[in-house]
Amino acid sequence: MISSPATPGPAAIVVKDMDFNYGKSTALKNIQIEIQRNEITAFIGPSGCGKSTLLRCFNRMNDFIPGAKVTRGGIWIDGIEIHSPQVDGVELRRRIGMVFQKSNPFPRSIYENVAYGPRILGEKRRSSLDGIVEKSLRGAALWDEVKDRLHESAYGLSGGQQQRLCIARTTAVEPAIILMDEPCSALDPIATARVEELILELKKNYTIVMVTHNMQQASRVSDRTAFFYLGELVEYDFTSKIFTNPAKQQTEDYISGRFG
Amino acid sequence: MQNSHILREFDHAISALRSEVLTMAAKARHNLERAISALLERNVELANAVIADDDDVDDCERKIDQLGMDILVRYHPVATDLRLVICSMKISMNLERIADHATSIAKRAKKISASQDLPDAALIEPLYTLADHLLRDAISSYSDRNATLGASLHGRDKELDRMHNAATATFGSRIEQSTGRSQDYLHLILVTRSLERVGDLATNIGEDAVFLDVARDLRHASNRDLSEGN
Repeated sequence: MISSPATPGPAAIVVKDMDFNYGKSTALKNIQIEIQRNEITAFIGPSGCGKSTLLRCFNRMNDFIPGAKVTRGGIWIDGIEIHSPQVDGVELRRRIGMVFQKSNPFPRSIYENVAYGPRILGEKRRSSLDGIVEKSLRGAALWDEVKDRLHESAYGLSGGQQQRLCIARTTAVEPAIILMDEPCSALDPIATARVEELILELKKNYTIVMVTHNMQQASRVSDRTAFFYLGELVEYDFTSKIFTNPAKQQTEDYISGRFG
Repeated sequence: MQNSHILREFDHAISALRSEVLTMAAKARHNLERAISALLERNVELANAVIADDDDVDDCERKIDQLGMDILVRYHPVATDLRLVICSMKISMNLERIADHATSIAKRAKKISASQDLPDAALIEPLYTLADHLLRDAISSYSDRNATLGASLHGRDKELDRMHNAATATFGSRIEQSTGRSQDYLHLILVTRSLERVGDLATNIGEDAVFLDVARDLRHASNRDLSEGN
């Protein structure tokens, strides 16, 4: 049985009895997890353990991979199973934003990167877009650094700034949940610290699920940690518990560098 | 037994730390044993050796702190490894204080030896025997990661407290009887006090060993039953 910490309120994401396949090969087996609102949940585990696959299940990013599908169980967000016919994938991805390993700004200005989402959603008024851009950039702790060059190319920003711009772009459409797939793995330690500080700030307004290979990052930033191995969720508990006294030997071996 | 770490240097560092704690424990225990022998056998030379050797124990404490800090800085240990580093540093502090008590007993042994034979000094021996057993088991609970043994020390230390109270009462009554050896009996009272403190420090080490083994904090706990949650 998976040890699961006490749950204070209704969970943001509920995964029940879920299996997930890439064609004939099973990538995730019998996953049960409840992601709590306004918390940071870290997914850890060796490469190929299924942690990124599960993250991408949450906003149905895997829909774009031929043969990839949930074969058993499901994922409930706000009480609705996300694969049910009434759920539109595009709308789902608006409510569940994603930040990737490598920053991927659009080849446009800083302003346009942030305004892009709201514009697509129908916001045309300049004053309103200006407000969203400023609010999102301030929220991403980037405003002071870029306010005088909003209309310059986003490619002129440093790697860390680009990643924070991508976070601002994600929050501009006001999602409920933000998924992050190794958001700091391409950044230097200072830029990493800035992004981590930002992630901790974002927790007030968003539920965050983060895949990371950096164990110290998981222990610094997250409230709860889930350890995956060979497609299974081995242990899910409060981060402080996982890193001081994990219940499973497999977890202990992995986090303390004794795997294999 | 834990699996090997992927980084062999890490295993070496952890094993060096652990073995330094055990070396320090052996030294502290040996000093205590010799201090009591010096007292019972009126051996001033042995007492002087114990006092001189306290520096070795202090060196061990510094070395353990250095090793522990290096491991924290270099390897960011977690889970059992983290608990081992923290416990080792705390245990070394307790061992240093035990060695200080041995030194204090050795100094009193010298003073008592300066006057004529005091047969009542033999009353110290059973207290020492129990204190030494507590210390031995505290060290084993750390080296063997035996939470049950570590948790047992608190109850057993109560017996040492009773013996301490009884011995203090006996020596106190000798002072009241004006035997002319009040100063020496006062020394004996303080020696029993040191042995009582050794029992407390051994209990602390046992509690650290419990934390190392099963991550339970037994300090100040009203319920010391290991099977119950904290």
